[in-house]
Amino acid sequence: MTVTDDADRPAYDELPSESPLGAPLDWAWLRGAKSEWGIHPKPSPRGLTMLDIAVGTYGDIPEHPPRRSMAPRGADVDDDVVDMGYILNSKTDVWAENTRELYEEAVARQWSATRDIPWGELQELPDDVEHAVCQLCTLLTEVEMIAADLPAKWMWRMNHDFIEAKMFLCTQIMDEARHAEVFRKRALANGGGLLLSRGGPTSLLRTIIEAKTYTQASALLHLLGEGFVLDIFRMGELIAPTDVEKRIFRMCMQDEARHVAYGTMHLRYAVENDPDVAEEIHAALDHGEQVLIDFGTAPDVSTALALLLAGGAEHVEDKGFPLALELTKKQFTSYLARCERAGISRLERTTVPLDLLGIDPEQVRGAAPAAQGAQS
Amino acid sequence: MSPAIDTVAFFDALSDEMNASTERLRIVGDADMTAVVVMHRPGGDLRVRLVFEGLICAGVAEVGAEEAGHADFALVGDLADWQGMFDDIVANGRATGLWTINSLALLGDRISCQGDDPMGLDKFSRFNQTLQEFFDGAARIAVAA
Repeated sequence: MTVTDDADRPAYDELPSESPLGAPLDWAWLRGAKSEWGIHPKPSPRGLTMLDIAVGTYGDIPEHPPRRSMAPRGADVDDDVVDMGYILNSKTDVWAENTRELYEEAVARQWSATRDIPWGELQELPDDVEHAVCQLCTLLTEVEMIAADLPAKWMWRMNHDFIEAKMFLCTQIMDEARHAEVFRKRALANGGGLLLSRGGPTSLLRTIIEAKTYTQASALLHLLGEGFVLDIFRMGELIAPTDVEKRIFRMCMQDEARHVAYGTMHLRYAVENDPDVAEEIHAALDHGEQVLIDFGTAPDVSTALALLLAGGAEHVEDKGFPLALELTKKQFTSYLARCERAGISRLERTTVPLDLLGIDPEQVRGAAPAAQGAQS
Repeated sequence: MSPAIDTVAFFDALSDEMNASTERLRIVGDADMTAVVVMHRPGGDLRVRLVFEGLICAGVAEVGAEEAGHADFALVGDLADWQGMFDDIVANGRATGLWTINSLALLGDRISCQGDDPMGLDKFSRFNQTLQEFFDGAARIAVAA
């Protein structure tokens, strides 16, 4: 490591020790700090990314940071810096191997709910369809902000040496603000408005926000909650009555998938490096799955989705509910596959009725048929 | 006239079109993914690997079955269904209705998104609009041709 207190550097002895007003001056930063100097990170073709500057000691994420201050990782830090009261002081508490990549991706793929949605193309819709869109938007406006509130609750407790994880969570908060914005705007924009808000969703949100640890919270939010919402957004193309809603769902889908990717890899990192945490995660998901089932089968959610899937009230029974069941199957299959990827297999433990949903555990466990399909 | 869709030349043309329109892609943002398009057709499948980096398609290559398995995900369908998707794009200037790649993959009965890694599969969602922009380029190369 090259440090700035290299003996060959000028000593700057001639600099004043007092300001013109008589205040003492400190030139220690110029005379030699014990930090790495001259690393010259090289910009990648798209610019200077967080991955590009993760070089030398600046790229080393400590397993257990020695301090609890907001001093930047890699700086020459005084011994008497203030303790900020962080409680998430182990790398396994917050880290994911894809954190830097996801941060850059999030920054590069920000969009505007004001500018990037073709609001001018909204069309008058049949009464039942407009009501269903507005009911779904009411629900999504309500639930999306939990994915902002939850990281906000924990971020100030995260050790500052894990700044990349905190930066990524900042992007998640911005994403979710935009999601709440876009669904609120859609509810109001086409002559409808916000409709019913009932107790079911609130129970789920409370379960998430009250998680005892950040890793439990991440399992409930990123893996379970956002994973399910991600599949609703994926399904958006089928339930959206016009190109406006299709565009909304597609843009939100991209953001949501990033959050799920962080959560999946965070849980994997946590379990790989601290196997004891697995039971903690399982306990959270035992409860979370049940609450989510209650949420998913809540009358307002299931009926609005079914009506949109049917294209209107007329075919809600013969078309809407069967398609909704398919969506539920996809949601749980994706969720269980992500659990496998995260290293916390739920197949032997989940109370989700796999038989009833027609989910084959072997397909989830292996997931190999997909790759074989690509190779066939 | 643009090349037949089951040729590497066609995907090269889509790549060139995308790479000449990076300003249009800027609103969608950077993407990093490797996808494989698999077209089932008489006489043997065509597998084309597409590498996306930043705002461009950085690589187009025909690959074998083993290499195809290393991609983040594969989009697999019969040639006729791929033709249907591109016909819709050319007719409308962009994919519409159930012909968007997201809708097709979601239903999975004509073109499916496959992969053995949930993280790779999730890239299909994370970078979906980039992929759609790439395919929508078929409308512009058809016009150009």
